[in-house]
Amino acid sequence: MTGIRLLVCAALVAVLPSVSSAQAEGCALDKLAAGSKLAAPPIRLGYRIVGGAVKVGAPFTIDVAACIGPGTAPRRIRIDARMPAHGHGMNYKPSERKLGPGHSRFEGLVFHMPGRWEISFDIFGADARKRLSVTLDVRR
Amino acid sequence: MKSRAASWLWILGLVLGVAHAGAESPVRFSDTEKQTILLHGPWPVATKPDPSNRVSGAPAAIAFGRALFNSSILAKDRDRSCAACHVAAKGFGDGRPRSIGIARVDRNAPGLYNLRLNRWFGWGGKSDTLWSQSIHPILDAKELGATPALIARRIAGNDRLAAAYRRTFGHEPAGKPPETVLVNVAKALAAFQETIVSGRTPFDTFRDALAKSRAAGIAAYPAAAKRGLKIFIGKGKCNICHFGPNFTNGEFHNIGIGYFVARGRVDKGRYGGIEALKASRYNLLGPYNDDTRRSTAGFTRRVRQHPANWGAFRVPSLRNLVATAPYMHDGSKPTLREAVRHYSELNEDRLHQTGEKLLRALRLSRREIADLIAFLNTLSETPRRK
Repeated sequence: MTGIRLLVCAALVAVLPSVSSAQAEGCALDKLAAGSKLAAPPIRLGYRIVGGAVKVGAPFTIDVAACIGPGTAPRRIRIDARMPAHGHGMNYKPSERKLGPGHSRFEGLVFHMPGRWEISFDIFGADARKRLSVTLDVRR
Repeated sequence: MKSRAASWLWILGLVLGVAHAGAESPVRFSDTEKQTILLHGPWPVATKPDPSNRVSGAPAAIAFGRALFNSSILAKDRDRSCAACHVAAKGFGDGRPRSIGIARVDRNAPGLYNLRLNRWFGWGGKSDTLWSQSIHPILDAKELGATPALIARRIAGNDRLAAAYRRTFGHEPAGKPPETVLVNVAKALAAFQETIVSGRTPFDTFRDALAKSRAAGIAAYPAAAKRGLKIFIGKGKCNICHFGPNFTNGEFHNIGIGYFVARGRVDKGRYGGIEALKASRYNLLGPYNDDTRRSTAGFTRRVRQHPANWGAFRVPSLRNLVATAPYMHDGSKPTLREAVRHYSELNEDRLHQTGEKLLRALRLSRREIADLIAFLNTLSETPRRK
């Protein structure tokens, strides 16, 4: 992760009620065993930036896997990012490729300015979502 | 004798002391500042041909594009050329606040240096390639006012240009759909414009000296420019948007310049640019992209429109900006001093509510303004001796 300082700060902005395991099958967190981890029990999330350091203005890809309970994948994962200090987000909407239950690849994220970015992962259960977030300092 | 020598020494010491007191302390950069400065180079940067344009970099296309750029054949009334508003001696701008083609347009003619490094083209970014951008002034009723049929007919009917077309694209222009000829003309124009690259500047010499810790090269860079550079990457935070070797992040920001172009009429800026981009059949997702893999189309596919795009305009490169006055998308700042003063005295109330929070009035002193201008001047090539 050259050029990036990771400042993990899992932030919860919504309450996820207990989730039925019937809504999704399996959980692919083990697929990202080598990635970074976030947790807000019962949710666990792993992510990995594909291809190395994030550079200003260059598109990049993130693989994300999440469990919303033991062996249970979320209904949906959504990703976005913003610069809290600047009051704006990304100019591009990343596209999602599902790799399996609770396991997605998001392509085309672009941090168009240097500084601190907050990536948010929205994890959707049956009828609610929970947000986990991580901040990245991108300097080059 | 001894006391006389002591007197001389005392006087000499006084003179040196006064001289020292008047001298300015040398400008030094912290390691963090050095790292930030190094991000603005090296220059020039390596480039590759545009995969969406099959004649990008081809000598025949460059020659054809140069001829077209300087020819009035693209204008409806044969009375102007691209070069009328993109004058080489004026940084490929025209020196006017807002350009005049067939009629007065709403924006300043941007300089054409280093366009091949752009992701978006035009002040609102309505084009995703240099060739599709080149189509707009040809067809715009306020600029050259032509039509695809007119362009196709004139190219086919001009022996010299028809031959250049054939050398470039391998077929005759006659008999081809007019839109095909128009797009090919634009691709040749783009091939030529890709060759308009600014040279190395005093800043580049300083930056490279800094990278290699060459004391003489660092010392040769003027102190005022160094102080201005400190403001640029520090208090001013100019480098956040004017990022990288080309001094632009290539995106769009609302910096509080008015966008009413006439009574009851606004320039939508990036908001309108995205609308036009999505509607265009000449974009990278359309049929004229020569790259079947659409390898550079990701930005076009994923760009999203925000309310904050209103009043946002493309961040221009600062290279060779000395030649491209007046400044801003509407040419409303006649000099570099006025452009710098805009940021110094920024009216934060005029910024869009969802605008760039980073921007704050810098409240620069007169000396700081002079220093910042001294730095900006070093981003332009030193005029070549004839």
